[in-house]
Amino acid sequence: MTRWSFRRPSFWQLVFAVILGAGLYSTVVRFTGGLGASTALSDAFPWGLWVGFDVLCGVALAAGGFTLSAVVYIFNIERFRPIIRPTILTAFLGYVLVIVALLFDLGRPYRIWHPLVMWNPHSVMFEVAWCVMLYTTVLALEFSPMVFERLRLERPLRILHALTVPLVILGVILSTLHQSSLGSLYLIVPEKLHPLWYSPLLPIFFFISAIALGCAMTIFESFLSYRAFRKRLEIDLLSDLGKVIVVTLAVYLVLKVQDLAGRGVLSRVLEPTYEGRMFLAEMLLGVIGPILLLSLRRIRTDHFGLFVSAVLVVLGFIMNRLNVSITGMEASSGVSYFPSWTELSVTLMIVALGFALFGAAAKYLPVFPETERLLASSLVEPPAVAVLRRPWIGTTPLVLILGGLFFIGAMGSAYSGLQHRERTLAAVSTREESEPQIAEGLKHLEVPPDVTFPQGEASPGPVIFRHASHLNWERPDCTICHHEPFRLLKASGSAASSPARDLHDERHCGRCHDGRTSFSVKEDCTACHRP
Amino acid sequence: MGDKKGLLLDTTLCIGCGACYEACKERNQLPRTATHFLEDRLSDQTYTVVKRRGGRFVRQLCMHCEVPTCVSVCPVGALEKTAMGPVIYHEARCIGCRYCMLACPFGIPKYEWRKILPRVRKCDLCADRLAAGRPTACAEVCPTGATRFGDRQALIEEARARIRAHPQKYVPRIYGLEEVGGTSVLLLSDVPFERLGYRTDLLSEPLPLLTWQVLQKIPNFVVVGSVLLGGIWWITNRRREVQLRERQQRELREPSAPESADSWHEEP
Repeated sequence: MTRWSFRRPSFWQLVFAVILGAGLYSTVVRFTGGLGASTALSDAFPWGLWVGFDVLCGVALAAGGFTLSAVVYIFNIERFRPIIRPTILTAFLGYVLVIVALLFDLGRPYRIWHPLVMWNPHSVMFEVAWCVMLYTTVLALEFSPMVFERLRLERPLRILHALTVPLVILGVILSTLHQSSLGSLYLIVPEKLHPLWYSPLLPIFFFISAIALGCAMTIFESFLSYRAFRKRLEIDLLSDLGKVIVVTLAVYLVLKVQDLAGRGVLSRVLEPTYEGRMFLAEMLLGVIGPILLLSLRRIRTDHFGLFVSAVLVVLGFIMNRLNVSITGMEASSGVSYFPSWTELSVTLMIVALGFALFGAAAKYLPVFPETERLLASSLVEPPAVAVLRRPWIGTTPLVLILGGLFFIGAMGSAYSGLQHRERTLAAVSTREESEPQIAEGLKHLEVPPDVTFPQGEASPGPVIFRHASHLNWERPDCTICHHEPFRLLKASGSAASSPARDLHDERHCGRCHDGRTSFSVKEDCTACHRP
Repeated sequence: MGDKKGLLLDTTLCIGCGACYEACKERNQLPRTATHFLEDRLSDQTYTVVKRRGGRFVRQLCMHCEVPTCVSVCPVGALEKTAMGPVIYHEARCIGCRYCMLACPFGIPKYEWRKILPRVRKCDLCADRLAAGRPTACAEVCPTGATRFGDRQALIEEARARIRAHPQKYVPRIYGLEEVGGTSVLLLSDVPFERLGYRTDLLSEPLPLLTWQVLQKIPNFVVVGSVLLGGIWWITNRRREVQLRERQQRELREPSAPESADSWHEEP
C-alpha cells in the first residue's frame, strides 16, 4: 500500500466535502449572479443571515480571546494561561471569517478598504469597519507567536513578547468597542426593531452577552479538542469559566428585566405573539437555562454538564442575534424573510472552514500546552465527592433532564412563535384602497397649453394638439399619452416637443386613434390637420 | 441661492394623474416598471410613486431629511446632504453595506439587487435642476399644484397659511416640519397621516443623535480605558514581582525542592 492510495474518507470528511462543494457552488452563484440571484434579501429586508449570523455571531467568537487575555495579562491571574491560546485562535479565526462573510455580503466587496480613506465618524458602521481592521491586526499579532514558535523564530518572538501588554490593552479596548458597536448599529432603528429588542442599552447587552458567549465557546471548543485531539481538559479552569458565565448572564438577565420594565414592555414577553415567543425561547435557551444548570456545582464540575450548558449558551446567543437582526425587524418591514439555500450553504461553508482551520491549527501549531497531552481515558476520573456521597440521580441524567427541559421549552416556544408569524406579517400588509376623492384637486387643475406640431412635407396641414379635448375630465390620467414618446418636461432647447418620427403609428397618436378607442388616423385627415 | 429648497405636497389637491411619476421617469431615464403607474412601487427603477391611501392619492419619495439618517449611517460618506436641500448619492464611494436602507425611517433607498455591481437608488430632488435654478421635474409638471416647489421656509409659511385659511379641512399639522428633525419634503392632508401610509410615531429628534450619543464617547473611552487597564496591569504586575522576590528570598533562607517550572508559562 503506497502513500497515495485511496483511503476511505471518514464521515466528517464526507460532510465537510459536501458542505464545501455546496458552498463553493453558491459562491459562484453569488459572484456571477449578484445578491438578488443568490439571496432572499429585498429592498424591504436588506440585512439577512450573512449579517445576522456570520457577522454578529462571528465577531462575538472573539469575546473569549479578549476576556481571557485581560484576565491573564492585565489582572495577572496566571491560572488561566493554559487555555488562553485556543481562545485567541478562536478569536482570530472568528474575525477572519467575518471578513470572508463581509466579502459575500457587501454589494461591492472590492471596496472593503474604503472606510480607511473615506471617513464618516458619525457612522456606527464606520466604527465597526475600523474595529474589524484594527482588531484583526491585533489578533494576528497575538496569534503569531504560535506560528513563530513552530518555526523557531526567536527574534520576532522576543519583539512580540515585549509588545504583549500594550497589544492586550489595545485588544480589550477595541473588542469592547466592537462588541458593543454591533448593538449600536441598531440604535438608529427605534421605529423598526421590535420593542422587546430595541433598547438604548443595546450596546451594553451586546457586550455582556458576548462575554458569556466567549466563555461558553472556550468550554465548547476545549471539549471538541479533547475529543478530537485528546488534549487535556482543564476542567477546573473550565468550571471556573462556568461560574463567570453564571455571573455574566445573571447581570444580563437583571439588566434585561429592568430595561423591559423601564420601557413598559415587560408584559409583552408573555404575550402569545411571534416576537414574544421567540424572545422567550431565546431567554430560556441562552440565559435562564444556563444560569440554572451552571449554578449547580455538580453540573458545573461535570464534563457532560459543562458541555451541555455551554452549548445552550451558544445556541441562545445565536438566537438572540438572529432575533435582533431578523425576527425583530420582520413586522416593520412588512415582508417575511427566510434565507435562501445559497445564503445557508455559504454560512455553513464558513462555519465548516472555521472548524477545519481550528483543527489544522490545533494539529500543527502549539495551541495547547504540548507537555500536557494525555490519553483521554486517563482523564475520566470521577470526583472523589461523587463516590462518597451518592446522589439520588446521576449527573448525566440530571443534565439531560434539565438541559432537555430548557431546550424543548425554548423550541416549543419558538415553534409557537412561528405559528403566530403569518398573522403578524399579514396584519401589517393589509391596507384598504378606496377610490380617492379628487373633486378639490380638479378645481385647481390647470390644463397645459396647446401644442402645435410642425407640418411635415406631405402633410395636409399643421396639427394643433389640445390637451383640453384629450382629457378624461372625471379622472385625468397623464400617463396614457405621456409615456416615453411624448415628453413631459420642457426640453432645454425648444419649447415644444417635436418628435422627428411619424406620429401616426401606434406608439403615438395611432395608439388611441385606431378606429376603436377613437376615430382612426386613417380616416378624415382634416379632423386633426387643419389647413 | 443658498436657501434650502423643498417640496410641499398637498394631498387634498392631488388628482392622481401620474404626471410626477412620468416626469421623474423621464428626467432619470428610467424604464417602465408597471402596467399602470398606480400599481407601481418604489424600486431601483422608480423613485416616486402615487398611492391610493385612505381615500386620497398620496406620493411617496425621498423626504430629504434635514439631518438625514442615511447620511449619518453611511460608513464611507457616500450620501451627502447638500446646502440646497437634496440628499445625494456618490456611487463611487459606496461599498454596498446597505445600512442606509436598514436605517432610513421612511424606507426610501432601494438597491439594484439584480446587478453584479449594484448601486443604491433614490430620488435626489433633481439636484442638478435645482443648481440650475429650476424646480424639480415632478413639481414642474404637476397640473394642480399638489406638488409645489420652493424655498423650504416659504413653503412652511404657505402650508401654515393654507391650514389657517381652511382650519376645518386640514389636519392641523405639517408633516415633515418636525419628523426626525424635519424634512425638505412637507405634506398637508385632510385625512390623518397614518392613513396615508406615513408614520406618525417617528421621533421629533434626528435619529443620528441616537447613535452619536454613543459614538461621541469613544475617544474618551479609549483614553480612560487604556490608562485604567494599564494601571491595573502595573499594580498586578508589581504584586507578582514582589511575590516572586519574596519567594526567592524565602528559598535562599530555607532551601527546599524547587517548584516545577512550566516551560509553557514563558510565552508572551
